[in-house]
Amino acid sequence: MSLWPAETQEMAKKLIGRYPDPKSAVMPLLYLAMRQDGYLTEAGMREVASWTGHTPAQVQSVATFYGMFKTERLGDYLVSVCTSISCMLLGGDEVLDAVEDETGVPHGETDAEGLFSVEHVECLGACGGAPAMQVNYELVEGSTPDQARSLCRWLREERPEAVNTDAMQEQFGGRRSFDWAITEDNSAVGPYPAFGPYGTLRRGDT
Amino acid sequence: MIEGIIVTAVANEVHEAFVYIRGEYPKPARRVQQAIDEAYAAGYLGKGIFGTDYDLDVTVHLGGGAYICGEETGLINSLEGKRGEPRIKPPYFPAAKGLYLMPTIVNNVETVSNVPHILAMGADDYRALGHADDTGTFLFSVSGHVKGPGNYELPHGITWRELIFDVAGGIREDRELKAWIPGGASAPWFVPEHHLDLEITKDATAKAGSMLGSGAVIVMDETTCVVKAAERVVRFFSHESCGQCTPCREGTTWMEMILRRVEDGFGRSVDAELLLDISDNISPGLAWPPKQTTICPLGPSAVSPVTSVTRYFRDELMQHIEQGGCPLG
Amino acid sequence: MADLVKITVDGRQIEVPHGELVIRAAQDHGVYIPRFCWHPRMREVGMCRMCLVEIETPRGTILTTACTTTAAEGMVVHTASDTAKKAQEGILEFLLINHPLDCPVCDKGGECPLQDQTMAFGPGESRFVEEKRHYEKPIPISDLVFLDRERCILCARCTRFADEIAGDPLIEFKDRGNHTSVETFPDLPFSSYFSGNTVQICPVGALTASAYRFKARPWDLLVVESSCSHCTVGCRISVESSQNHVLRFNGVDNGATNQGWLSDKCRFGFEFIGSEQRLRTPLVKVEGEFREASWAEALDVVADRLGAIIEEQGGDAVGGIGGARSTNEDAYAFGKFMRTVVGSNHLDARLDDGLDARFLAAVSPRAKIADLDRAATILVWAPDLKEESGSLYLRVRHAVQERGAKLVVVHPRRTGLDDRATHKLTYRPGEGPALLGELAGGAGDYAKVLETLSLGPVVAVVGRTGLTEQPQLAEEVAAFALSLPDAKVLPFARRSNVFGALDMGVAPTLLPGRAAAGDSEATGHLEAVWGPIPTQAGRDTMGILQGLVDGDLKALVLLGADPVRDVPAAGIARRGMESAEFVVAIDLFLTDSSELADVVFPAEAFGEKEGTITNLEGRVQKVNRVVTGPGQSQADWTILDDISRRLGKPLGFASAEAISKEIADVAPPYGGISWELLEWDAKEGAVVPYGEAGQPVAYRPDGVDREALAAMSRNPESGAFALHLARTLYDDGVLMRNSLSLHALAPGGAVHLHPADAARLGVSEGSLVEVETVDASVRLPAVIDPSLATGVVYVPFNQPGIPSLGSDLSVVVAAGEEVSA
Repeated sequence: MSLWPAETQEMAKKLIGRYPDPKSAVMPLLYLAMRQDGYLTEAGMREVASWTGHTPAQVQSVATFYGMFKTERLGDYLVSVCTSISCMLLGGDEVLDAVEDETGVPHGETDAEGLFSVEHVECLGACGGAPAMQVNYELVEGSTPDQARSLCRWLREERPEAVNTDAMQEQFGGRRSFDWAITEDNSAVGPYPAFGPYGTLRRGDT
Repeated sequence: MIEGIIVTAVANEVHEAFVYIRGEYPKPARRVQQAIDEAYAAGYLGKGIFGTDYDLDVTVHLGGGAYICGEETGLINSLEGKRGEPRIKPPYFPAAKGLYLMPTIVNNVETVSNVPHILAMGADDYRALGHADDTGTFLFSVSGHVKGPGNYELPHGITWRELIFDVAGGIREDRELKAWIPGGASAPWFVPEHHLDLEITKDATAKAGSMLGSGAVIVMDETTCVVKAAERVVRFFSHESCGQCTPCREGTTWMEMILRRVEDGFGRSVDAELLLDISDNISPGLAWPPKQTTICPLGPSAVSPVTSVTRYFRDELMQHIEQGGCPLG
Repeated sequence: MADLVKITVDGRQIEVPHGELVIRAAQDHGVYIPRFCWHPRMREVGMCRMCLVEIETPRGTILTTACTTTAAEGMVVHTASDTAKKAQEGILEFLLINHPLDCPVCDKGGECPLQDQTMAFGPGESRFVEEKRHYEKPIPISDLVFLDRERCILCARCTRFADEIAGDPLIEFKDRGNHTSVETFPDLPFSSYFSGNTVQICPVGALTASAYRFKARPWDLLVVESSCSHCTVGCRISVESSQNHVLRFNGVDNGATNQGWLSDKCRFGFEFIGSEQRLRTPLVKVEGEFREASWAEALDVVADRLGAIIEEQGGDAVGGIGGARSTNEDAYAFGKFMRTVVGSNHLDARLDDGLDARFLAAVSPRAKIADLDRAATILVWAPDLKEESGSLYLRVRHAVQERGAKLVVVHPRRTGLDDRATHKLTYRPGEGPALLGELAGGAGDYAKVLETLSLGPVVAVVGRTGLTEQPQLAEEVAAFALSLPDAKVLPFARRSNVFGALDMGVAPTLLPGRAAAGDSEATGHLEAVWGPIPTQAGRDTMGILQGLVDGDLKALVLLGADPVRDVPAAGIARRGMESAEFVVAIDLFLTDSSELADVVFPAEAFGEKEGTITNLEGRVQKVNRVVTGPGQSQADWTILDDISRRLGKPLGFASAEAISKEIADVAPPYGGISWELLEWDAKEGAVVPYGEAGQPVAYRPDGVDREALAAMSRNPESGAFALHLARTLYDDGVLMRNSLSLHALAPGGAVHLHPADAARLGVSEGSLVEVETVDASVRLPAVIDPSLATGVVYVPFNQPGIPSLGSDLSVVVAAGEEVSA
């Protein structure tokens, strides 16, 4: 008996249909489960197991292998600051300090009100725009520590329902590693990658 | 890329393709998915492409934040719904036993994206680009202490000097170049005294004891504490280790702990030799190209910063240990 | 036969099969390459990196893992070169940096591969001065197994075993890199029937058995090889004892049977041996109460009362039930006792397991378990092997998974093998014959199944899927199976040494040596040694019990049998025993049956006596004495010999070994079997072949008889369900009841219903349901089970506190009324 609403079940069926073997769909389904509950719960993992044919222990094994499947409750905004070599060379550590200080949340934790989760992460692949950070996996590059503080303050004051990479870059970012030459309205609605086929996305009005 | 996938698939009678994109890249994934959707709409993908009876499906699969899924068999395991752990080769060479144990072609997006250009230009014109030993262009991602970090498509064969000082604008605030990593975090470091005028080709780089790898060039100036830099790179590999095999799982973390202890001022005089011996137990002989006691090259990757620092910056390392802290303050 | 290639290992040229793993090839020739993750019975993974060796190749010398390299002609291997040694030392140092210094308190100390290989191949000291990783330790991952994640070296033997061998992937790695640990899913413990194997194969003390923790050090243990006696595979075990107490069983790698694995029932089902409840003295019932008696006194009572009945009413008034839980020697003594001392043909080792004795004893061509590995197709129409014979289940699973055999499973309910089956056929108990008819005819959907089955060689495991099923169905299935190309059959009955007992003639229709009772040549041969034996037709177990109820039989001899609990028609069993004028029981415990006896003699259990047993392949194995029996317990044959002397017709046995020699004389197929052979030469046991020229043929399968099949089909009464009554691995049987760790794991009474039936009855998961048969009425909690056909309910047999529902097909099921507070 599935615990998911009909719409999510439809999406699960579609995702399974993209692969020759239902077991291959475990990762997309884990994102779906995260979207359902805000983070990956035990019930969510059991649900995924019932769809793919894994045992819950196997789903847990896959889920915990990857850093982006979070099994503890997260805040509305997951702020990830890269501190790998390229970002460290250009002040990533200082950006992390600023974020931790501004939000009051140390690395790896979530605040009591459920607003911010903060983590330092390994290389985000945006080295040309170091130091790099993400809010709900939407990229903001080249921020100074002060800009990072402003970003956190903005999140706290405005409480946006969704965050858009271009808008944040415009307001709080600096050098970009890559000029897309287009802007898009797609936004992240929580701490999971905003990718359409996995349902985690919101389009802007314009 | 999509054209490259189509050509490669048809040439090899493949009907199912997957584009594995890091989970941390939702925007690139969105862009790729949109392009794929457009290709489906135009009849370039799906059932009976281009009006033939050839079917080809392309699916975007998002990763979950594990660097080791960039290893071809780790990627395959991840696609099969397992932990992204690399497989032993032999027997699991993807061309023979890949995804679902079927013959599988695994290539970088960059490689596949070259295919339509080669076809459009013709092989001769393509070969005319670049260097006799390394034809065509290469995507460099230059980062660190340069004035102009970013992505540059350049022909093979230019020198490092040209890349760092001409293309990337030189060192920020005109400081001194201290060292650079020529090809991604796995690559042994290059230093100005020895490597500035080398041609950027696979062979020349290999002969000099490093590699072009991913094309990520990380430039460090005189303000860089090499111990901290090395620790950061080793920490990356320890964090990304899949954990299957003993030398990588234990050795990379052990080296990270030692380097952190040295950085924090509690280094011991034996630590330099210890780091090298741990490295030797991961990559015997500290040779180049590296040997490995591990299943995949991630373990030996963590050895590169250690051998580089001990080879080119041993004094600075020893100063950390003797002074109980970074000599750069 | 694989091609042989010549390779050089450490300077010595050896010949090994082409494609053999270097680590195994070297080991077979006396060169031990250190290893942790590699296990000879599992797929290689090359994870621990301990087996690094240097191998010369045309491209230069490479350092690589011996467990992932296959031997090729001319290969040169150096296992102890300087480079290899440094690598091996390095790996051990890496493994030890996070390993806690637990040796003084760790069960594994003294038999620990990490200790041993560190001494032999490791560095003298560790150079690690940082903080080791820490976990809460130990944590129970099931009722039987504890996990210490600090000790774990992440070799994945346990997780790979659980997935690859047992098919129960309930333990897996969690997290990655240096944070990796073995974990279960919360609230889903590692309750696999095979969990104990992980304790044995764990190369460190990370996995320990709750039944053995802190009980002994390996060097204190007396270790003797023997066979398990719970099911008819007869897994090879080592019985390990200290100070005359059996402390544990370990699996021994017998390539023909269990290949080193044991079910947890095998492995932990030894506690009953040392139970406080074991009978220690003879007991005599006086005015309804048992009183301890001396042997003389007890034997006198038997001589008087049983002797009187035999004298006044003839041996025909006495029945004998049991022998399946005895050795061949004990069972032979029982058969000889009943036929020559008592003078009765009413004897049976089966407890209404329902399969014809001649079929079980003599159907052929008989498969060997190893034939599963060579089969193209395997048919399992039998009980759920995962519940009734864990080792056979593992062998079938292995054959399908690793050797590519196709599997057809036919059963009323889900079985442990379904996930590997090419075809699974579900049916309503009673309709089996109709299904067989359609399958044999290849009609409609069954065409594909028949096509699969027509790919030989075929091995068919045939038995009775449940206790309400028509007994003759299995014979028809076997007949059908044997009509398939290159087919062999393994008849499956579960209980202990029933095949040995039947080979010893403990059945009304059999004589020792698989001859049919009434076969004049066999009778003549037997009487030459035994003297005259009775000629009238004998009764089987139900016949004996019914005879006691009706008064046709007056006395009963029970040998290690508990009909009141083990016979589905429990009511008849109890009434029969209560009606009897005299009952003598030889047993380990006071069971529900021996409680009703007049005289009880204390018997020795497996592990306390020497003898042989015969498994379902006809393989004879030696079982050995490791500890002494409690109090005044004796071997079965000794007790029967004493009774026979008191009755004036001494059996005259001098020893169990002497009995085994007599068996070789009396039962021609056993002519080549001796204790000496089994101890010195036949290390995997010796198969007593079936269907050999000159052997008596007690059973010949006919072709499938369509008319007989049609007549065999049954339906439940109108308005009733069809009852599927089947055994579970852990139940309320007397041995389980006295093995406390395992008894707690019996699933308990429940009634399983198809969701459609549940909905129709207004029953939900866990609600109480009234279940009624002609034998019993009981209220049980409901379980929704979509694997059943509609119109079927499944009730597990012999659960604590639940009376038997009997063997009738019809069961009435209704939603239970709410019990008001």
